[in-house]
Formats: sequence, C-alpha cells, structure tokens
Amino acid sequence: MALKTEHMVLNMGPQHPSTHGVLRLELELEGELIKKVVPHIGYLHRCFEKHAEAMQYNQIIPYTDRMDYLASMYNNFGYVIAVEKLLGIEVPERVQYIRVIMGELQRIASHLVALGTYGLDIGAFTPFLYLFRDREKILTLFEMTCGARLLYNYMWVGGLSHDIHPDFQRMTKEFVNYFKPTIVELDNLLSYNKIFIERTANIGILPIDTAINYGVTGPMLRGSGIKFDLRKDDPYSIYDRFDFDIPVGKGIYGTVGDCWDRYYVRVREMEQSLRIIEQAIDNIPEGDVQSAIPKRIKPPKGTVYTRVENPRGELGYFIISDGNTNPFRVKVRAPSFVNLEVMGELCKGHLVADVIAILGSVDIVLGEVDR
Amino acid sequence: MKQYFKDTWDGIWTVLIGMKITFKHLFTPAVTIQYPDVKVKLPDRVRNRLYVNIDDCIGCDQCSRACPVSCIEIETVKGVPGEDLGTTSNGKKKALWVTKFNIDFAKCCYCQLCVFPCPTECIYMTDIYEFSEYDRNNFVYNFSALTKEEINQKKTNFEKFQAEKEAQKAAAAAKPKTDTPPAAPN
Repeated sequence: MALKTEHMVLNMGPQHPSTHGVLRLELELEGELIKKVVPHIGYLHRCFEKHAEAMQYNQIIPYTDRMDYLASMYNNFGYVIAVEKLLGIEVPERVQYIRVIMGELQRIASHLVALGTYGLDIGAFTPFLYLFRDREKILTLFEMTCGARLLYNYMWVGGLSHDIHPDFQRMTKEFVNYFKPTIVELDNLLSYNKIFIERTANIGILPIDTAINYGVTGPMLRGSGIKFDLRKDDPYSIYDRFDFDIPVGKGIYGTVGDCWDRYYVRVREMEQSLRIIEQAIDNIPEGDVQSAIPKRIKPPKGTVYTRVENPRGELGYFIISDGNTNPFRVKVRAPSFVNLEVMGELCKGHLVADVIAILGSVDIVLGEVDR
Repeated sequence: MKQYFKDTWDGIWTVLIGMKITFKHLFTPAVTIQYPDVKVKLPDRVRNRLYVNIDDCIGCDQCSRACPVSCIEIETVKGVPGEDLGTTSNGKKKALWVTKFNIDFAKCCYCQLCVFPCPTECIYMTDIYEFSEYDRNNFVYNFSALTKEEINQKKTNFEKFQAEKEAQKAAAAAKPKTDTPPAAPN
C-alpha cells in the first residue's frame, strides 16, 4: 500500500545568509531531495533602465556602478564603450591601457569575493578573511586613483575621470608580485581540500547543451568546458594585444561542469588577469586621459549593442539614441540574471544542503539581477 | 574499503596542509585596524562629503545640473547695479546673490560629477566621512552665507529695481506718444 504524500514547499530567503543578497528560492522538496527550484527576484529593483531614459549620457555612469557593485569598473567599461561606439570617438592609447588594467584588477577583486564567500557558504571561514585582505589592496589602488572604493564612476565617455596616481604603476607591480604566491596558498587552503572537494565535486553538473540553451556565459560556461571568452572571441578595447589563456573546467575531481570546476575556473582566471596586468602595466603610453572627452554628448540617431566580458559573464548594453542628450532606451543584458535562470536545472535531484553550494558557484550579484 | 581509508587520509592530510598555512599566518603582523582609535590615512583624491566655498560661488547652477540625483538646490537673486558683490578668488565678477545652496547628503551618491564643471572650483570633496545623524533632515546642509533678513533685503532690492525698470520702460514706452509734438501747422 502506497502512502499518499505531498511535496513540501520551502522558502529559502530573502534573508538567508547564503543567497548573497535578497533572493528568494522557492524549493519544492520530496523529503530531502529537490524536485523544483523557482528563484523569485525583484527585491533590489531600482529601475535602472527607466532612470537611464531621464539622464544625460554621462550621468548614467554612476548608475551603472550600482548594478554589479562588486565589479563597478567593468560596468563602466561596457557602458562607455557602447556610448563611444555610438558617438564614433577614438579613445587615446593611454586611456585604453589604463581601462584594461583597471578592468582586470576589478576582475580579480570580484573573483576574490566570489571565492571567499563560496568558501564561507561551504563552511571554510579562513579563506574568506585572507581573500578580503587581498581585495583590500586592490581597493586601495582604486581609491588612490579615483577616490572611491566601491562605486567608482571612473571611466567616462571618451576618457577617464582622473589620470593614474604617480605611484600606481609601482604599487600595482608590487600587488602582482604579492598576489601570485597567494593564489598558491588559496589552492592549498581551499581548492584541494578534501572536505571542500567532497562538498562541490559532482554537485550541480551543468552539461554543455543546457548551458548553451540557457544562454549561460562567463566562468559558468567555461566551467562546463567551452572555451568562450569575449576578450578573445570578440575582442573589444585592446584585449587582442595581450597574450593570455582561457581556463576551462576539466572535471579533475568529478564531472566536467560541476561546482568545483566553476570554482576552479575562477581561481585560474585570476592568474590570467595577472598576466594581462603584467603585460600592460609597463607599456602605458604617455598622453592626456581627458583629451577625447566630448563637451556635450549628443549622439546621432541610431542603436548600438556592445558586450564585454564581465567577471560574471557577458555584460551587454543596448542603447537606442533618438538624437537627444538623453538615451531613448538603455537595455542591459545582465550576466547574473541569465546565469541565475539555470538554477532550476542544476538543483534537480540534489539535497537541500547542496542548493547553497550550487548557488554560491553560480556567483550572482543581486544588484545586477534586479537592476 | 581501500577507498574509504584513502579518503579519510586525504581529508586529514589536506586539512593539515591548510592548518600549516593558517599557523604561518599566526606570526604575521595583523592587518586589522582598531577603527575609532586608529584611522587609515586617506588618499588625496578621496571622495567624501562635499564642501562649498560660498565666497567663490557665482551661482551658475552648473553643479546642480550635473548632479544625477538632483541633491543640490540653488536659488539666486540678481544683484542690482551699484551693489558690490565682490569677486571670486580667481578674479571672476559675481553677478548673483546665492540665497540658497542646499546639498542633501542623504541623496548624494558621491560620484563627483558636480565637481568638474564648476568654473571657480568652489565645490569640492573633502575627506570627512563621519557625519551620521539621528534625523534624516539634518543631512540637508546649507552653504549659503546670507541670513534670512539679508535674503529678504536682496529680494526686495531686486524687486524694487525691477519695478523701477518696468516703470521706466513703461514711461519710455508712453513718452514718445505724448512727447511727439503734433505736426506743426505751417
């Protein structure tokens, strides 16, 4: 005789500490097993796209900062590239180099938070503290250059708000030399830790076809074994001049595309970012960083779509201009938002405790999911 | 069975490796700073609370227009001829009385966009970051140096001047009609 049983619905969030913000996950459980996951978003919605319609082009930059607040530099980067394309401005070499260096530093800083909080979700507290200590060094570099630690408003249409600080190059080189052994330390402390591997390997496997169908990008897609990085495949700015590799998931401890692979891709990406910084930092040409900034930004009628490789994936800006000083429409393709959708596929058949491991490996920033 | 013991051994061994790293860190100097007692030295370009040097302000309203969150409110009254408004430190002649210059720091997003367009460089960011308040209304900072009476006086002065001007204009407009001598009959 079979007992008639019902599935249990459990709400995880919005105040759950490992949802990395205000996200509510509606879990449908059969005992401990997950049958269905529905993410409920919108708790942090701030109408970025509607605001942008009422703002002048340069006033939108501080708003882009606030989308993915762990990678503000990169949000600026994508936006200014889009507007520059719309205006048809050529940006000086010096600006390009500084932008790439800042972008890569931001990528490292963002991954440090992602990896640190991931360890924290799994139960490893120490790496979190070490990684935040290192992130602090990057934030000091940013603060020295533009005066802000989190929301920079540093990259402007056609240039930069400030030239780099005289000490910037020296301190960045010092940071690169300091940070290389720290990655090895992180590997020994967390990546190859048996307990960590047991919690993450073979969990939340994302097959290649599912990843492509859901439009997943960034470290999540690369974790599934696809070599797709916009810096290489659709180079913007001056990324085509640098020599770097694209790390992909190989399934060393489990299956290709599991949580451990996604985690490990991020660790290896930090190494590649260091390589780019090393190549760029000594070659910054002389020049004025503000020479190409237009007095009044009034692009001609037209549309533009640009995409950049944000630390979380493909960040796209679609801007429609009607020839005014305000854009007619700014649409953002937020990588976190797209990556979050695949949660339902990833969690199926896993235990409740694994949801936390999976969500951490997706690495969402709710500011960007909700905008 | 063999796998079980290997896993257990791996678990212990990798934790010991981690312990070795944390043990090493026991002997490195602490990076934590005892905040209220010790403070970090802030860089020169730091972006915190705005300050307006009102003596240099010409009331051009450019900072207010640059602000993406409209946290700067400026009202001005024109000076009447003969009144000495003084000059700014870089030699610009002032033409407006700044009767109101309010910045709401509860709204301000510290983006520094208002600082760059200022022609007299009178609005800039300072390194003051400890200004929490119990009441949100206290975040509205008034930078105008004029008192209420002075503002009223400037306003009436200007209105009077305006009225006089209007009257003169009216008189000037009315005059030619009455003054034009009728064609002398010759």
